[in-house]
Order: sequence, then structure tokens, then C-alpha cells
Amino acid sequence: MEIVVCIKRVPQTAEAEVKVDPSGRDIVKDRLTFDINEADSYALEQAILLKEKYGGSVTAISLGPAEAEDTLRIALAKGADNALRIKEEDFTPLDGYKTALILYNIIKDLKYNVILTGCIATDDGYSQVGPIIAELLGIPHATLVTELEIKDEKAEVVRELEGGLLERLEINLPALFAVQTGINEPRYASLLAIRRAAKKEIKTLGGADIQGEVKSLSVLEKLYVPPVERRAEILSGSMDEISEKLVQIIKEKGLL
Amino acid sequence: MAAKKSVTIEINSEIRDALIEEGARDAYKCYQCGKCSSICPWFQVGTYEFPVHRLGEETLLGLLASSEEKDELAREVDKIYRCVGCEACIDQCPLGVNIPKILRAARRILVDFGSYPETLKSVVQKLRNVANPLGESPERRGDWSSELNVPNYDSRLEYLYFSGCLPAYDVRLKKVANATVRLLQLAGVTFGILGEKENCCGEAVRRIGAEKVYQELTKRNIEVFNAVGVKKIITTSPHCYTTFKKEYPDFGGVFEVFHITQILARLIVEKKIVPQKAFKKKVVYHDPCTLGRQNSIYEEPRIVLRSIPELELVEVENFNHNLSVCCGAGSGGLWQDWQRDERIAEVRVNQLLATGAEVIAVACPYCLQMFEETIKSMGKTTPVLSVSEILYEACGEVF
Repeated sequence: MEIVVCIKRVPQTAEAEVKVDPSGRDIVKDRLTFDINEADSYALEQAILLKEKYGGSVTAISLGPAEAEDTLRIALAKGADNALRIKEEDFTPLDGYKTALILYNIIKDLKYNVILTGCIATDDGYSQVGPIIAELLGIPHATLVTELEIKDEKAEVVRELEGGLLERLEINLPALFAVQTGINEPRYASLLAIRRAAKKEIKTLGGADIQGEVKSLSVLEKLYVPPVERRAEILSGSMDEISEKLVQIIKEKGLL
Repeated sequence: MAAKKSVTIEINSEIRDALIEEGARDAYKCYQCGKCSSICPWFQVGTYEFPVHRLGEETLLGLLASSEEKDELAREVDKIYRCVGCEACIDQCPLGVNIPKILRAARRILVDFGSYPETLKSVVQKLRNVANPLGESPERRGDWSSELNVPNYDSRLEYLYFSGCLPAYDVRLKKVANATVRLLQLAGVTFGILGEKENCCGEAVRRIGAEKVYQELTKRNIEVFNAVGVKKIITTSPHCYTTFKKEYPDFGGVFEVFHITQILARLIVEKKIVPQKAFKKKVVYHDPCTLGRQNSIYEEPRIVLRSIPELELVEVENFNHNLSVCCGAGSGGLWQDWQRDERIAEVRVNQLLATGAEVIAVACPYCLQMFEETIKSMGKTTPVLSVSEILYEACGEVF
């Protein structure tokens, strides 16, 4: 089975103080740590699990700056066979469509039975890249995948829907799956594999390798911190009543 | 009788060399006598087997964290992150093999590849981002002192008081910084703080293996210290103390460093602080690893406690001074999610409580936090107080 997995290097912002830079279109990144996008780390693990079960090879692709090669090297250390960086610097600025179009241009010439992506990137949150690649390739796709099994050239997938519902689908291969976090348990890279990965080649492709024009469909106008809405409510009653009201509010806000 | 299983081990000299390069040279000294395994706090916990004496050999054979099997590898990485850096093993080793440093070599390689526990990744993230492990805003780092009338440090003042991260932000530990400042003011010591210019010393993040983040923090602190002309530093935490004293000189930061208990002991000997209010309790002092075993500061905290009227100081027989058992918070242990029956702090709390003490005295913010949380989870109520807080209370009538 030939598997392609798209991964992205992103700044870790979940617990960080995020500030908008003077351009107003990006965040200040000099005090942030970078890592593989969370959902992509699950996509990578799923790719390696599929390879372990059905054989074949895994190709990891990242459209990113030179530093994205660190992320690709992690993919190699975890079990990817090939790594390919597409030079982001040749294409910026990027929106979801343009990113997908570039990835499509590369993937279409590769062998693949399964393409995996994360279901969302934690930096721009577009959730577009996976489905657009699939549409451009003319293959089926499923998003928010929480289970993935392959049987006789078909994939059995479970998707996570709103309201706690799950959806089971049978999909013909080749297909693309945008996986949800939690679908598996991403592995560590061993020191042995890290040493091996250090010697592997990371292929780079740039603007000259893409045929035709690639254009964005949207333009990022402004990035900003939403104005703070001040709302305070003081709960009264017994401890039990207060607790109950609090739980209710937390539920209503969708925090639970 | 079961047939003997033969195992073929493939030696990987490349991994060995990589580990040696990252600082694991001590592995060559180890002859696997096993003293380290028996003194390791995990041996006392009993529910987790940690064969420390094999780590040197595993390093030389290039077997450390090198399993190709996913679950086994996860156990190996977990093992590398079990070390809490208490250094009891180094203390007992006939050849002084630095096991924590061997493990740190492996950690450095793993961290570079994002192959380490998620909880620790989050700590590294916060330290890089806001220079404290709590993820609090740097602008609020000096807020704890707002009602204490502490000046910002300038070179006319004798000491820089470096509160450290937990005493700057944690609600409970702010009280320790508070008591410390009041005592120094009472004794007429001239000192200032850095407020929002203070960064984490970097001790924990270095021991987690994130060397680059450590060096960034170190360089920033040294720059700040030099810019305001710092010569002498007082720290709340033994961890900041040891880092400034033993590790900053490698980066050109040479300062005279004191742990707060050293300063307080001297002020008591010089009669600049004379506790008058009785503290009529049985108090057990816990030697923090980093203050005691790693820096030989055993007597000063005891001088402070003995100076307090009616305070009965008791000792954990056989497990004090260099044989004190770690609280489990060092080298990233504070943020690890170990199981309830896998907690080093519980072993130590039981030893401390077995003395019949009514109060546990500590001299390290990590120990304080670890013991308080553990005691609470054990359903007990014994208070844990810093030496500074007890002394402050004993000076109560003065304030």
C-alpha cells in the first residue's frame, strides 16, 4: 500500500501569549516553539500503522520553510520512508486553496492508495487542504476520521459528527482521509531511528516543479485579538445550587 | 526447568557516540555494582522498577531508547523521564557516575525530535514563550511584591533577590516570597528585585533536555543581571541557586550566589534577626536534594529553626542530610502525571510524618508544592511551611 501523508510545522500557541506582528497579518513567532501540527501527528501515525499492517511505503510531504525539514525528519524517524519539502518561500502568501493546489500538483504524480492529512491545522484552522486535494485528484475523501481500516481495496472509516454521533462509511480506494486527533496514539521516535533519519535525504521541490499558475482565492486582510467583552455574573444560593448553575453555564457555553 | 532464552544484542556504536557527545561520558566509569538502583527513590516507591545500574551499559551498547517496537519504546522513553535528578545515585556511587547527566544526553536528542512526554512539551513551550513554567504573563512577574515596598534592583543595593517562578506567581508560594522580603527588610539588608525583567533560571528546562531554551533563558538573565550591575544574588529556590552558582559561569555569568537560608542563618548569628515569639510545635526539616546533597547546605536551615523559641526540631533518622529522599519534583518530575501509587513524594511524606512532627519545614518551592499536594491527596492536614515562613511567624511581634 502506498501512503502519502501531508504534515505541517506550526507554532505552538495553545498555551502561549500570542501577539499580532506590525504587519497585522501574522503573529510574533520569535518566542514560540514549533512542532508538527497536532492532527497531522495522528495522520502520520495512522500512515505508519497502515504500512506496518499492509506493507508498502509512506511518503511525508510538507509545504513549509526550511525549518519544516525538522518536522519531516521527525516523520522519517517515526517510520516514513520518503520525505519531501515543497518550498513555501516560492509561493507565499498562501491560502487553503493554493496550499491544496500545490500539494495536488506534487501528489498527482506520486503512487498512492491512501492519502492522509490532519483534519485541521492549529495555526490557520482552515480545514480545507485535505478535501480540496481529494477533489482536485477526483478521489473520494472523508473528514474528521476517528477509525480507519482497510479491507479488500476499500476503507472502512468512522467519522465524528456533532452531538456525539458517529458515522460509519465504506469508501473505495484510492481516497483521502483527514483524521481527527485521538484516532491512535502517536509514537515516539527511538534514538536508533533518529540516527537513521539523520542520514536520509529530504527531497525539495519549488516553484519550477509546479506546472501552471497557482493562485490564492482569498486574501488575509487582518489578524487581530477580539475586543474583550466584559460580562460578570455572580451566582448565589447554596454551594450545591451554585455548582449546578455553574455546570449548566459551562455546558451552555459548549466548554464541556 | 525452563530453557535458557538466548538474546542477540546488536551493539550500536553510533548511538553510543551521539550520547557521549551530548554528555554521557560517565557511562564508561560504571561497573554495574547496583548501589545506584538501591538508593534511587523509585526503589523506595516499590511499584516501579528502575534498574539504574544498567543505564551506563545500555548507553555504551547504544541500546538506550532504541527499541523498534512502539510500546516498548514508549516504556523506554518513560524510563528516561523517570529520573528526578535528586543525585542520590551520584552521592552513593563508588566512582561518582553522573547518571542524571547520562539520561540528560538521551533527553537532549529526544527533545530535538519532539519525542518526549506531552506534559513536559507544554512546560518547554511556556518557558520559551513567557519565561515561566506556569504560562503566566511576564508583565505580572513582579506583582507579588506590589504591597511590600521593594525597589527594583540597582547597583547601590547589596543584593538582588531572585524570587523564582513559583514564588512569583503561585498563590501559595507568593507567601514565601513575602515572608522572605519582610525578613530581609527587618534585618536591614539592602536589596531589590527585577520584577518583570526576571526570567526563569532555566534549571528545569535544561534537565528536561531542552538545552536551547535553557541557553536562551541563561543568556537573557545574564544580560539583565549585568545591565543593572548585579553582584550578589539571593534565591528562594535551591534550583535557581545551583544554576546561577554552578552553571551560569559557563556562559560568562559570574555572581556571588546565596540561598535564602544561608542569609537568614547569618543574620541570626549576627543577631540582626532575633525571633522572640514561641513556635511551640514539633517541626521536621526536609533536606531538599538540590540544597543538601548537591550543595552541602545542611546546617544553615537548621540554625534558623533552632533559633526559634520552643520549636522542637526533629530529624528523619537514617534519611536526612545526604540520605534525604527526594520530593520527586526535580528534572521535570513536578509536571509528570505518574500514577497515585507511583509517587515519590508519598514515600517521603510518610517518612516525615513518622517522626510525629506537627509541621514539615522545607527550603525549596518544589518540595513545598509537592508535599502540600501529596498530603492533601492522602487525606491529611499537616502544614508544610518554608523555613522563611516559620521564622517570619516567630518574628511576628516585631511586625
